[in-house]
Amino acid sequence: MSSRNDNVVVRSLAQIGACGLFLLTILAAIPRSFRHGRETVRQIWFVGAMSLTIVMTCGLFVGMVLGLQLYDVLSIFGGTSATGTVVAIAIYRELGPVVTALLFAGRAGTSVTAEIGLMRATDQLDAMEMMAVDPIAYVAAPRFLAGVVALPLLGLVFCAMGVFGGHLVGVTWLGIDNGTFWSNMTATVDIHKDIVNGVLLKSFAFGIVVSLIAVFQGYTTPPTSEGVAYATTRTVVASSIAILALDFVLTSFLI
Amino acid sequence: MTQRRSYAVGTGLFIVLGFAALAYLATQTTSVANTSRGDTYTIDTRFANVGQLKVRAPVKVAGVRVGSVQAIDLVPGKEEAKVTLAIDESHKDIPEDSVATIYTSGLLGDQYVGIQFGQSKTPVKEGGEIGLTRPAQQLEEMLGKFFGGGSAPDRLGGTFHVTGSFTNIGGLQPGAAVKMAGVPIGSVESVVVKPGAVEATVTLAIDKRYSQIPDDSSAAVFTSGLIGSQYVAIQPGGSPEYLADGDSFVLTQSALQLEDLIGKFLVNGSPSENKPGAQGAATDNAGKK
Amino acid sequence: MTDDAIVRVRGLTTVLNGKTIFDSLDLDIPRGKVTAIMGPSGTGKTTLLKHITGQMRGDAGSVELDGLNVPELSREKLFELRERIGYLFQNSALLTDFDVFENVAFPLRQHTKLPEELIRNIVLNKLQAVGLRGAARLMPTELSGGMARRVALARAIVFDPALILYDEPFVGLDPIALNQVLLLIRTLNETLGITSVLVAHELAAVQKVADHVYLIANGKVVAQGDPATLANDGSPWTAQFFGGEADGPVPFQYPAGDYASALGFPGGKA
Ligand SMILES: Nc1ncnc2c1ncn2[C@@H]1O[C@H](COP(=O)(O)OP(=O)(O)OP(=O)(O)O)[C@@H](O)[C@H]1O
Ligand SMILES: [Mg+2]
Repeated sequence: MSSRNDNVVVRSLAQIGACGLFLLTILAAIPRSFRHGRETVRQIWFVGAMSLTIVMTCGLFVGMVLGLQLYDVLSIFGGTSATGTVVAIAIYRELGPVVTALLFAGRAGTSVTAEIGLMRATDQLDAMEMMAVDPIAYVAAPRFLAGVVALPLLGLVFCAMGVFGGHLVGVTWLGIDNGTFWSNMTATVDIHKDIVNGVLLKSFAFGIVVSLIAVFQGYTTPPTSEGVAYATTRTVVASSIAILALDFVLTSFLI
Repeated sequence: MTQRRSYAVGTGLFIVLGFAALAYLATQTTSVANTSRGDTYTIDTRFANVGQLKVRAPVKVAGVRVGSVQAIDLVPGKEEAKVTLAIDESHKDIPEDSVATIYTSGLLGDQYVGIQFGQSKTPVKEGGEIGLTRPAQQLEEMLGKFFGGGSAPDRLGGTFHVTGSFTNIGGLQPGAAVKMAGVPIGSVESVVVKPGAVEATVTLAIDKRYSQIPDDSSAAVFTSGLIGSQYVAIQPGGSPEYLADGDSFVLTQSALQLEDLIGKFLVNGSPSENKPGAQGAATDNAGKK
Repeated sequence: MTDDAIVRVRGLTTVLNGKTIFDSLDLDIPRGKVTAIMGPSGTGKTTLLKHITGQMRGDAGSVELDGLNVPELSREKLFELRERIGYLFQNSALLTDFDVFENVAFPLRQHTKLPEELIRNIVLNKLQAVGLRGAARLMPTELSGGMARRVALARAIVFDPALILYDEPFVGLDPIALNQVLLLIRTLNETLGITSVLVAHELAAVQKVADHVYLIANGKVVAQGDPATLANDGSPWTAQFFGGEADGPVPFQYPAGDYASALGFPGGKA
């Protein structure tokens, strides 16, 4: 791989290349990892269900803040009845998938990196190899799959909480008519464009990217405590950049 | 192992919660009917004015979506818009004497085509035409012609120029659209105040394809949408003579002060079906058939 | 040596980071016997075990296990082979996600579809053998170093493999546990005919359990033979190693430059 005196660009390129190859390795191992279905289920629990609290709380607050801001701006034009619509569209298309992915990288991605990094450092991965268990199929692939499955689900939960938060502020506190709030939303929000292409597709893409980065960083951690610390940091930094850059690319294709 | 099973149960709950959220978002916050896809057949309609109607806008019968707008064109040589509707194969029984009307869903909302069934036993053929239509002018007329929208068309066929003088052009900018019967036919080329004059002279570049504009037509500055940009609308007169390059409009109507009027309407934003009802063109068509 | 060598190493040469670990090493592990590998720290005993199991590859030479050339095996073949090998890691390497019971059960769960009842019996049997049946529900972090070693040992033997490689099984064991482990290795060998290779530093323990001893230093086998007599065979290697002298053919220092000049004194040898 890259040596110490290469410059940043070369090092980053080498990392991206190695990451891409690692993705191929994982994909090749996925059929074998189905034997470890239980492990995948367990990982969905750890990366998905355990992230619910943070995702739900953040979704609620994001929806509430959006509701407040939009009500404030839209009241200038006398268009507060559109609050629900704009909250829903903003959350479905952008904030839902992006914020959930960022939270996921911070909450689940780092723990996956640290966990695999420590397994590497304490020879657990070698021990599995010696027990004729492929660590890619047993450790890497289930965590990767779990992330890819969990992130869209978390994104959906985030969106539902966001709409609920928007409703709470807009209807319950600021007094927009309940029927208006919902009917305007249902008239405008499109299941294909906003939910399938918005929440689901984006979250799925982010799930692949964040899980890959987290697993890759853990798997290639230098077996030291410093190495693990750096690897978790890199997971957050690389995931955040990748999420936002990919979001731009996806949006420009989808819009 | 109880430990293993608890993970499985928890994970199952999590997945169910995710799908519940999906079901909630899909059914409570969108119109699932917005996306019926499948085989369609086409019906042509002609409107005097399509207003803000856009391609892919829904076509509804009794408020239920049955298809979408496939194309909007200007009928060559006429001051009429031809709207092609793609109707789902499952709705083959639209009587040929039905009436197609352009409605607006909500004040800020998009427009759609509503079809009201006639009495005839013969359904419209594929590629056939619904003869009876009502244009999308009601809301605009009522609100002082504030709605419209759309952008200037590509000037593929070359342009010719006509001018008009306005006492007040509001926020009209060069590049703004010029529309006839709601269809963009050109753009504003320049807005100048001649030295010594009190009126603004607006030069319009109009696509050569639309050269048959009666020379007694009038030009008005309208606003597209509530917070939208302004455009020039041409209302054709009855003269047999057409405007030629370099001519100017005899009649012009300046920009209205939107803010004064609109405030009264928007204080309590109202749900979808009220607008056409207020105009008297149709009432609550969702509950009809 | 004889045909019944389960492992046959020929001309193995390995260079790591510019340091020659093995220099054309030849060595045979007899089938059905207990073989001990001794040598100073850092000579490459762990590395040798890793070569035998295919975790590392040499730069030259061959490592044959049961007639198969390990470095040339595909990943699938290697994994097949490893199912028949038990390996005790020098640092235990227990899976921290699982408790003691699940750690020992792990290879069984991964490679067999045995009923839960049977898995339970096998695991508890092995844990009983290392004296930790009562600790079955503890997590690895709740174990002492010596307990972790014994759990790792139980895991290595849970399959009753044909070959078991122990990397320093006696480290951190109290005299009672040490005796039990010695007895266990011996019993496995005598009752099931399991070939054992153990890396160890404790000559007394090795003398009790091993049939054959290799002394490795400077990348070669420098002495071998019966553990009871090897220490007194008169060679300078054994004399120094078992006598614990700092001076002699076995280097105590990791290769380094002249000490005096490293400390900054002028006039050193370098
Ligand atoms: N991955 C590696 N890269 C480079 N050098 C290594 C690597 N692993 C081991 N070495 C070197 O190989 C030599 C042998 O290491 P090994 O772990 O086999 O020693 P050992 O004989 O088991 O020692 P001990 O008795 O202390 O366990 C050491 O000098 C070490 O520095
Ligand atoms: Mg060692």
